[in-house]
Amino acid sequence: MISSFLSRSHSVPLDNDASSRLLPWLIALMVFLASLAMVVAFSMTKLADRWDSSLSRGLTIQVPSGSTEAERNFTREQMDKLAQRLEGIEGVSAVAILGDAELERMLAPWLGTEILIQDLPIPFLISVELDSLEGRLVDEIRKAVSAIIPSAAIDDHQRWMRSLLNLAETIKLVAFLTVFLVTGAAVVMVVLVTRMSLAIHFKLVELFHQMGAYDSFIALRFQRHALRLSLLGGLMGLFLTGVTVAVMSYFMGQANTALLPQLTLTSWEWAVLALFPISAGLIAMITARATVLRSLEEMP
Amino acid sequence: MVRFEDVSLRYGNGPEILKSVNLSLEPGSFHFIVGPSGAGKSSLMKLMYLAHHPSKGRVTLFGRDTREMSRQDMANIRRRIGIVFQDFRLLDHLSALENVALPLTITGQPLEKVRKNVTELLTWVGLADFLDAKPPTLSGGQQQRVAIARAVIARPNLLIADEPTGNVDNAIAERLLFLFEELNKRGTTIVVATHSDSLIRRFNRPIFRLAHGEVHLDYPSVDRARKPKESQTP
Repeated sequence: MISSFLSRSHSVPLDNDASSRLLPWLIALMVFLASLAMVVAFSMTKLADRWDSSLSRGLTIQVPSGSTEAERNFTREQMDKLAQRLEGIEGVSAVAILGDAELERMLAPWLGTEILIQDLPIPFLISVELDSLEGRLVDEIRKAVSAIIPSAAIDDHQRWMRSLLNLAETIKLVAFLTVFLVTGAAVVMVVLVTRMSLAIHFKLVELFHQMGAYDSFIALRFQRHALRLSLLGGLMGLFLTGVTVAVMSYFMGQANTALLPQLTLTSWEWAVLALFPISAGLIAMITARATVLRSLEEMP
Repeated sequence: MVRFEDVSLRYGNGPEILKSVNLSLEPGSFHFIVGPSGAGKSSLMKLMYLAHHPSKGRVTLFGRDTREMSRQDMANIRRRIGIVFQDFRLLDHLSALENVALPLTITGQPLEKVRKNVTELLTWVGLADFLDAKPPTLSGGQQQRVAIARAVIARPNLLIADEPTGNVDNAIAERLLFLFEELNKRGTTIVVATHSDSLIRRFNRPIFRLAHGEVHLDYPSVDRARKPKESQTP
């Protein structure tokens, strides 16, 4: 009886405001957008790491195949010699000459299966895997290649990787920017909702003020309310993100392609996402407090 | 207790509502404020209870210049002032008991004591059966009594009442003014704005008459010889 007397006699009836009913849903939407952007950032990080680890420790040697069968046979002999030489270099973990069958398989998506690889001016390829992409090792390989097949070209994937990694970084940046903008939008929204509540309850606030309530006492009523509603909205938004990630993860798993990012989040990443509702609550609380204190300053 | 020195008030760019008012209320005094509608009674009282700052001049409350007070100081000064608003300003979502308890609960007083004191006071003003009633269910007179009880519950040093007896019958009005008089005897400074000549005659206290934004101190005709310490210099 006494405790309800305490809570009610201090209270501002904010729960009945239309703006209060709207706030959890708006915060839910904001947290959903921000956490989804964060999921994209996490996924792009993992995808870039995967590309990096699978391609950064390898290089490809392209050898012009020649126009006649005799030239092609000679080139094959030179390639065998080069492969042997490369295998002898310390730091080279594997050397593989890609045969016609493998080239046909790689080109099939673009040229179809009915091609005669010999009729096309397609270079032979040698795939080299390294323990690490050290400059010294690459230089040694480059020397060996130019000594045995001077016309061969070495592609260490760096240019292609750079583009991909730049793309991944850009997407991550956009994702973080989205989180930042959504946070800004949430702050603006809480300011508007708080001002609306202050306008609705102006007489009550004025009465508390007139009775000698400290500004912090009045602000506490609004900030607690904003914290509660925003936490509730944030949890709804996080739940929605969880469902969305689960559904997208299922469909991406079905697609089974190495090009798509993985949407399986680690427990650490879930922990970061769990901070979103808490952050939303705290941001809303601080914003509501600042808004009320600022408005109260207009009263003498 | 309250000192106005050359105080003027205007709202925004509007006309001057109060013009170079000088007045002084000594601790323990009891004054009425009278004047036609629009004369500036409410504005004068708003300056006394710190709802406005003067556009010009100096207001001193409890010995302190209001211009030099911090926000916290002003809040502490407001806690020493009880106000009966003309429109009551009761909170509809709270019971009569909770409304009256507000000045005590916002200062963090023990709830058991708050409840006991509020119940006693509401009983004294004849609302023992309406402790849990919400203001919209009370009559105008009952609401007014709740508003008065709320203004006096914290034993203020200064009580400012704007038409406190406007909606109650004579018996209740006398009883409420008797309460004010009791508080006054215990040292509370009282300022009451009223239109009731009978009350002014009955209580025989000095009067601030407002006209055209100017304030003149007057004394009831029945007791002009008794001039208290309070003074006013137009």
